[in-house]
Amino acid sequence: MTALYVHVPFCVKKCNYCDFVSYAGKEELIDKYVEALGNELQSLLTAYHLQLTTLFFGGGTPTLLEPKHFDKIINTLIGHWKFDIGHSELSIEANPGTADQKKLRALRQLGINRLSIGAQSFNERHLKTLGRIHDAKTIFQFYDDAQATGFANINLDLIFALPGQTLADWLADLQTAIKLQPEHISTYNLQIEDGTAFSLWEKGGALRSADEGIALSMYEYAIETLTAAGYKHYEISNFAKPGRECQHNLTYWWNENYLGIGAGAHSHVNGNRWANPNCVEKYITPSSFLPLFKGENVESAAGKETSGGETLWLGLRLLDGLPAEKFYGFEKEVAELTKNGLLETFNGNIKLTRRGLYLGNEVFERFV
Amino acid sequence: MSDKIRNFSIIAHIDHGKSTLADRLLEYTHTVEKRDMRAQVLDTMDLERERGITIKAQAIRMNYQGHILNLIDTPGHVDFSYEVSRSLAACEGALLLVDATQGIEAQTLANAHLAKQNNLVIIPVINKVDLPAAEPARIAEEIHNIFGIEEKDIILASAKDGTGIEEILRAIISRIPPPTGSAAEPLQALIFDSHYDSFRGVIAYIRIVNGAIRTGQKIKLMGAEVLFEVQEIGTLKLGLVPADKLGPGEVGYIIAGIKEVKDCRVGDTITAADRPAAHPLPGYKPIKPMVFCGFYPLSGEDYENLKEAIGKLQLNDAALTFEPETSAALGFGLRCGFLGLLHLEIVQERLEREFNLNLIATAPNVIYRVNKLNNSAIIVDNPSQMPPPAEIKSIEEPYLKLTIFTPAEYVGAAMTITTEKRGNFINMEYLDQKRVMLTFEIPLAEVISDYHDLLKSVTRGYASMDYELIGYRESALVKMDILLNSEPVDALSTVVHRDYAYQRGKLLVEKLREVIPRHQFAIPIQASLGVKVIARENIAAIRKNVLAKCYGGDITRKRKLLEKQKEGKKRMKRVGSVDIPQEAFLAVLRLGK
Repeated sequence: MTALYVHVPFCVKKCNYCDFVSYAGKEELIDKYVEALGNELQSLLTAYHLQLTTLFFGGGTPTLLEPKHFDKIINTLIGHWKFDIGHSELSIEANPGTADQKKLRALRQLGINRLSIGAQSFNERHLKTLGRIHDAKTIFQFYDDAQATGFANINLDLIFALPGQTLADWLADLQTAIKLQPEHISTYNLQIEDGTAFSLWEKGGALRSADEGIALSMYEYAIETLTAAGYKHYEISNFAKPGRECQHNLTYWWNENYLGIGAGAHSHVNGNRWANPNCVEKYITPSSFLPLFKGENVESAAGKETSGGETLWLGLRLLDGLPAEKFYGFEKEVAELTKNGLLETFNGNIKLTRRGLYLGNEVFERFV
Repeated sequence: MSDKIRNFSIIAHIDHGKSTLADRLLEYTHTVEKRDMRAQVLDTMDLERERGITIKAQAIRMNYQGHILNLIDTPGHVDFSYEVSRSLAACEGALLLVDATQGIEAQTLANAHLAKQNNLVIIPVINKVDLPAAEPARIAEEIHNIFGIEEKDIILASAKDGTGIEEILRAIISRIPPPTGSAAEPLQALIFDSHYDSFRGVIAYIRIVNGAIRTGQKIKLMGAEVLFEVQEIGTLKLGLVPADKLGPGEVGYIIAGIKEVKDCRVGDTITAADRPAAHPLPGYKPIKPMVFCGFYPLSGEDYENLKEAIGKLQLNDAALTFEPETSAALGFGLRCGFLGLLHLEIVQERLEREFNLNLIATAPNVIYRVNKLNNSAIIVDNPSQMPPPAEIKSIEEPYLKLTIFTPAEYVGAAMTITTEKRGNFINMEYLDQKRVMLTFEIPLAEVISDYHDLLKSVTRGYASMDYELIGYRESALVKMDILLNSEPVDALSTVVHRDYAYQRGKLLVEKLREVIPRHQFAIPIQASLGVKVIARENIAAIRKNVLAKCYGGDITRKRKLLEKQKEGKKRMKRVGSVDIPQEAFLAVLRLGK
């Protein structure tokens, strides 16, 4: 096992579009939660042979945790790294304004070397619509603090196709992001998920999601602008300076094994996938989640066939695609999708065409 | 012996309480003990219980005060009016059951008329008098106005609480005459129903009119002109009760090694092979389907299964016809004939439910008579087979006499929708102070679209209707084709009246635009008469469909989303490069405004 994901489900405030496992106002549970993380990790260390190359603290807002919490987890992992920790990718997600220089410096000293900043937009109006707790100024300050404290591998998350967002708004966001020169940029098309404030507003008619044509143009802008600025478009939603692709996320797209710990975290080991309970209270109750990683509560035991197709549709998310020989048994699908202009073969790899990129789900469903 | 027999049926509208009354009669005559009662004992098919209607007629024998009472149940839908007439022909009397809160409905009247034509004694019963909303006085007036029956002859009853049940049983004995047949005459037995049993073959339900029938006897079916040997006869309780002999006036069953119900048609006469009757009993006619549609399996491999399944249903359904047909759009399928829309729906539902088939049903159509310019005439039961306009002199279509019973306040609404469906108004009559009977002549083709639903909706469910075929009439009809992506889809062709073609074409392409999902390419939808396009819509292409985020390794959720998307497409039929959902083929039926 080379990838470990740690979920931190705490937030100052729930954003209006967010349907992740995250809760506001439960910070008093943090100590107990980290204790539970430690327990889960201990059990994993006895059950699996870990040789980590990546560790990812995701959320929620992981930076709500104190350095001592990270210290505890990272200390537990001593002796389980494949390479020296300085040569491994240790990422943390952070929302602007949720860590000061002191905390950032402490994280850096613990070995965390990649910071993923949830900027989402630099436009005050859109930040407000999204329900973010920060303004644009806070992003810039946070970015400066991160650089000042030694983070040299930074990602910015941006969202497009926001309600009321114009192409000009989006272009401005892209250009602002480029000016900061982060090593990595993710651009996500807003998806309105059930159970979010956005979904309620949409049903009530107070919010109109972006027109498909505009969303497509925004995506094209992102690809053109970021590519021109020297970022490599390596996954549907991800752009990176050469060599700065997110190693942790590549594990998912390569359909390799990974472990996730914490509430709602997902794991994938040898074709089996399972998930921990979403509920924090349940997660911190001893023994309630323990059976999970013994494989008793396996959510979807994907057979060889599905995982075969799964490797393909996950791998096709990467712009380089996959070696043609991996498509054995799917010749008919590949031929048809190629005929429809959604797939192409390049340097021995089968990959999405530009059109296939826009209609990815139409391609992926053929391998499900 | 036969003077102690009373044969009767119950005429009632859906929900007026026929099944409950039948249950109560069985209970009061101790045919079924109360502890064994379950609601609607006589309705045996699941579909019947769910829909609350009787599809197949049945019969049951009761003993009461030294008499044999045979209740012959009748189907409750206009599609099966011929079967109703044969069931009534097996009786000397009928209970006319009317809901005290509703009044007489169109079909009840039609069936009561049938009963009178068969010289049946009618015993009017007003049911549900226990309900607070009951208006027995108004209903009695209605019965008097329509049938001229005196109020004193009407029995007030509640099948639910048992009121009037004894009175009904006494009236059956005192008012209905015993059968008049003679044991000395040659055998004449009327087949009023039959069903196929996979162990015993066909079981025919019969009423002996003259003569007697015995086990081992050689018999002849006079209409079908086939011979059989009687293996078993008997009477009908909740099960079959074998007997050696059935005499005049008796009702029972016969098993004679008959393989299919179509060899043993309802209305046919059984006689003795060695001493045949001079004439068959009157009223026999082979039933002909009036409504046709194509059934196509969603996946081509299911064609043989479909054929086998429908063959099995046909064993038990003499009115169902089918023959193979090929559609350029849908591949191999069967063109099936039905008595009416309900019959079609029942068959389709049974194919899907009992045989697990996924079907595309094309919009139902009627049989057209096409007179060609070369003076030949052809029968067309599939719109796509309509000859080119240049060869056609005229087209005739089946017309109905349509009767509508409605509360007076909905007369305007009922008139409007019926004339919009090409109905010609004939007559209007008040049944009582509140209710009106309207009569129209209308093409069958209009009634088998969404007419009944429309009528129910504009009259808040209060109107009822009945119809009978009155013959073929010439109409200005044209074939309307639908083109998807510039390719004609034969299974979407319909025959429409020239004056309504533009309106229907416009509505249909709009409807198709709604129900056909977007594809990776734009799809023009056109309606055309010959080469002339009369309506056009466009389904825009999907331009972007890709999940942006792959969050925290939650692949399962993404896979489920993709699976859902894929499943949706599987339930569609690919025609050319377009995936068409099942409902598109029936869209032509639901062109509500």
